[in-house]
Order: sequence, then structure tokens, then C-alpha cells
Amino acid sequence: MSVTREFSADQKQLIISIKGKFDFSLVQEFRQAYSHIGDSEPLVIIDLRETEYLDSSALGMLLNMRKSLGSTVKGIHLINARPEVKRILDISRFEKMFTIA
Amino acid sequence: MKILVVDDQKANQIMLTGLLESFGHEVVCASNGREALNVFQQVQPQLILLDVMMPEMDGFETAPRLKAMSGNIHLPIIFLTALDSQETLLECLKVGGDDFLSIPFEPVILQAKVNAHARVRELSYSLVQKNRTLAWHSARMEREQNVVQHMLENALAENQLQQPFVKSYLRPTSNFNGDVCLGRVGPFGNYYLFLGDFTGHGLAPATGALPVAQAFFSMAERGLSVGDMVTEFNSRLYKVLPDDMFCAALVVEMSANGDRISCWSGGVPDALLLDTRGQLEQRIKPQHMALGILPRAQFNSQLEHYFVTPGQRLVMFSDGVVEACNHQGEMIGEERFADWVTEMLDSECSEAQFRAIVERIDNFTGDTPLNDDLSLLCLKCQATGLEPQAKPQNEYNLPFELRVVLTEHDIRNRDPMQRMVDSLAKLDALQPHKTSLYLLFAESFNNLLEHSVLDMQSELKQQESFERYYEERQSRIEQLQGLEIYFDIDYHPTSQQLSFTLSSNTEHRFDGQHAGHSTNDSEDTFGRGINLIKQVADEVEWRDGGSLLYVSYSLSRPLA
Repeated sequence: MSVTREFSADQKQLIISIKGKFDFSLVQEFRQAYSHIGDSEPLVIIDLRETEYLDSSALGMLLNMRKSLGSTVKGIHLINARPEVKRILDISRFEKMFTIA
Repeated sequence: MKILVVDDQKANQIMLTGLLESFGHEVVCASNGREALNVFQQVQPQLILLDVMMPEMDGFETAPRLKAMSGNIHLPIIFLTALDSQETLLECLKVGGDDFLSIPFEPVILQAKVNAHARVRELSYSLVQKNRTLAWHSARMEREQNVVQHMLENALAENQLQQPFVKSYLRPTSNFNGDVCLGRVGPFGNYYLFLGDFTGHGLAPATGALPVAQAFFSMAERGLSVGDMVTEFNSRLYKVLPDDMFCAALVVEMSANGDRISCWSGGVPDALLLDTRGQLEQRIKPQHMALGILPRAQFNSQLEHYFVTPGQRLVMFSDGVVEACNHQGEMIGEERFADWVTEMLDSECSEAQFRAIVERIDNFTGDTPLNDDLSLLCLKCQATGLEPQAKPQNEYNLPFELRVVLTEHDIRNRDPMQRMVDSLAKLDALQPHKTSLYLLFAESFNNLLEHSVLDMQSELKQQESFERYYEERQSRIEQLQGLEIYFDIDYHPTSQQLSFTLSSNTEHRFDGQHAGHSTNDSEDTFGRGINLIKQVADEVEWRDGGSLLYVSYSLSRPLA
């Protein structure tokens, strides 16, 4: 599985990890990963530590997620991006729309 | 049995020799003490019959010397005496005699005494043999322990526990520690800690620590998640350890800016998360069974995640700490220890404060011997100050030009760009750039494919139709026939440049200038492709009236 979803033990965080290639081939898997999040207003954390490849469709999918979740979540964090991935997020000015840690 | 008869009277020598030989023994004679010492060295007798009154050297002087020459093996000495005074008998025993025989005697008494002392001698002999074997095994054991210790030290040489934000204390009960504390810097400037407590002490847990330490270091270096780490540790230990052995463990990752902690805890005492004032904010209770118990399918790698603020601390310890006893058999206990920690650690979390806690444990236990290894770790939440690690880029490869021709068969249900970048990334010089190269290749290729080959409208990528766009794309790909896409890649190691051109045998022009209408700041979910190429690449150019895209990328650009 290249997309995994896991709630933290206290249900306050939903962690979605993307391994390998992040592009439109994951569009359904990725959408599934952030659906049915319940009423607990969790913080969504996208863990990119094992994301090696991504393209503009991945960026589009992240923005789609942000639009679709709206205020049902406490926030969306993109964490553990490798330097190259981080650069792509920076170029796309994603720090204005997500917390990049 | 070989018996030495020492008597200055020839008649006695002959009489004793005759009797002893008739009992089946081998007999050597000497006429005085001095001669006896010489004969002893030559024939190594196993029992001595020793006269008291002799010229040159009497029995009292001879006995201790013979005993000394026999070394570790018991040498029975039976004094022959005509004298019956109590004083003489006492003296015989005092100088090392084991028994005496008054002449004249009944032969059957001689036989009984010789047999009795032969048994003692035999016992002593086999004891010495066993001691020798034991000593040999013990020396061998020690040598082997030294080898394992050496291996373990080598395996732990990569340990990076010495960090300004980490304090650690370990006190083993034996040479080999059943507790293991490991630290390692991750590639994002993040930091990992492992606290493990194997059942038992000594060689066996040390052997279990080897595979775990190796896996920990290599996975930390790759920046993997704690969940993946513990899954791997568990399956390694499950395979290696016998059923009654396991490893209670706490594995922690702190993010580079020190604002986030993820942990997996199985079978260790609650870790204590303190707030910035040093008050107990949260007990991190073990959620899982220890490592090495459950098969992979039943193993649960779920983590707990905490957002923390700088100055908070996480105190972790093995059960050796809370189960350490004082001389009355009273344990420190989790409550008492938590009190000590909150009382003695403030936000500074200095070396002195940490040492004071260790001292308090020592004072409590006094000289009561430890019955478990004891380890204590304190992680101070703060930005690690560790730089993300980029691999050294001093690799040099040969220059090459490469033409890849893709047809519709190569792009149906496959991602040819990933394959190309995977292959190129096998070159050391290109490997660190694979994410950027993939982005350039994929965006250029998709732009060519979607706009000039498939004639897709990027407006289709609006939120509702994002998926429909890709369905449409896929169905148009299915209908393609006779397509050729030309990828010409040119690598110049001396100028650190990788460039490529992309064109096709279709009539359409690149949609280049129009495709990039979306700006960086927009929240549009499409149309970013060309902008990304422009910013990641050094040069982007449409040539031949828009039918060929040229992209050049500098490999000397720093990644971080």
C-alpha cells in the first residue's frame, strides 16, 4: 500500500503516509484516506518521509483535500518532506495553505 | 596403585613389599627421607608408607616435603610406627600424616587402610581433573564473551546518544546489558531514540540486541517511521528469540524542530512527559506487547503522537529503575520515581539535575545488589539543530546521450517516466536529484501528451472533474495509434548539466506558453506543471515553433 492512514491513539491526529510515487494514480486511494474522519475535528498530517516522486497532480490532490475537508479538521500539516520535495512545496507556495514542518 | 615404602630397616621393606604386592600394588622402596624425595620425583607414587625414625631425614621432616611435591593432588601418607606414645601419633598428624599403622600389624588392617586411602586419592585426582576442565571452559567462555562484547561494541559504534538534548544513564548488572539505549540522527534533522529491555541478562540478550541495533541505525538513517521500525524489530526478534525471551521497548522520534514526538511503547513502564514548568503533563503508557512475542500479522505498530513545546521533557526508563530495592526490600515504585523526576528536573534539564536523579536512585538502593539492569533516558524537546543530510556529491560518471522512443504501448497503464528516472538514478551523481528529475520529466511528458497528443483541456481538472479528467485521459490513450514520443537526454558531468528535449511525431504544437497560466500563489488544482518546470529547471525553451521542448537542469544546485 502506497497510501496508509492511521489515527493516533487519542484520535486527535489522522496521519496519512505516502510511499514512493505521489501522483494521480493514487487519486482514489488518497481520497479514501481522508474520508470518514468523524466529528472529532482531527489534525490531518501528511507524512512525506517516504515520498520519492511527486508531480503537479499530487499538488492538485493536496489542494483538493484542503478544499474538501475545509473546517472539519483542525488543520493540515505536511511533515518530513525530503529537501527535494520541500523545494517543490516551497516553489508552489504551499506554506500559505498548509503547515509545513 | 603405586606405593612408596620408606623405612631404614631392610626387613620391614621386604615384609611390606611382599604384602602390598600380594594385594596387587606396585611397590618402590627408599631407606630414608632424603632418598624418598628423590624416588618420589622419579616414580610419582600415589601413596606413601613412611617410617618415623630414620637416619639422614626422619619421617616428620619428610612428610610435609612430600605433600608439597604432590601439589594439588592429595597424597595419602600412612606413618609406620613402633612407638605407641600419644605424643608421637599427634606429631604424625600435625606434620601432614593422614593415618598411622603400628608395627606389628595384621595384614588385613594394612590392606583396609591402603584401600581406604586409595579411594581418597582417587577422589582428589578426579576433582583436580574436573577443576582443570572447568578452568578450561571458563577461559573459553571468557574469550567468547570478549568476542561478543567486541561485536556488540562495533555494532553500537554508530550510536549517537551524545546529543545536547539527550541525557542517558545505564547501569548493567553483568558484563552484558539486557537493557539497550540507542540514539540516531535521521535525514530530516529528526532524531530517534530506542530504549529496550530484554528479558534476562548476559549473553542471550546481548545477541538479541545485535539485529535490533543494526535495523535501528539503518532505518533511522533512511528516515523511516517509528511504526515501520518497530514492525521490523518485532519480526526480526520473533524469528530469532526463543519463546520465553522478548524485548520490552520504547521507540521515540522527535521532529527536527522539536515540536512533535511520535512513540511506540510496549511493555516498559510509563514514560513521563513533563510540561515546560516540569509538572507531569502526560503518562505515556505502554499500548502494546513487548517486541518479539507476536507474529507479524498480529503485531500492532500504532503510534502515539504528541505536539510539544520547546522545554518539555520526556523521561523514559526501564523497569530496573522503578523495581530497584533498598535494603528493606522496598521498591522505588513508579509513583515515587515520578515525584523525584518532577521535583528535581526543571526546564533547564541540566546534566547536574540528571546526575542528581541518578544519585538519588543510588542513595535509595545503597549497597543492595541490583537484580535488574537499570537505564534512564531524558529527551529535552527542542529544535535538534541537526542539518538535513544531503549525500556527498563527489561522484563522477561518464557523459552520455540517450534517446528513448516511446510508443502508445509504453504509456498504457504504465508510468514510463518513473522507469526512466529509476534507471537514471542508478548513477550516483543523479541519485540525489531523482525527485527533481522526475518532476521535470513527468511534467514535460504530461504536458506534451495531454496537450499536443491527446488535446485535453486543463480546465477539465476542476475539483469535481479531477478524476474525470484522468478517466478521459486514459480513454484517449487507449485509442492512440502509431504514436512516437522522442526523449533525447544529454548528460555532461563536467558542466554538471542534464538536459533533454521532448518531441513527438504528431502534428500538434506544444501548448507551452498557454499551459502555464496558473500562478504559484493560486489555489487552482491544475495548470501548475509548466511553472514548476520553469522554477526547478535552469532553462526551458520551446524550439522549432513549439514542436520541441528543451529543458536543462543543473546538478550543482544545492538540494537543501
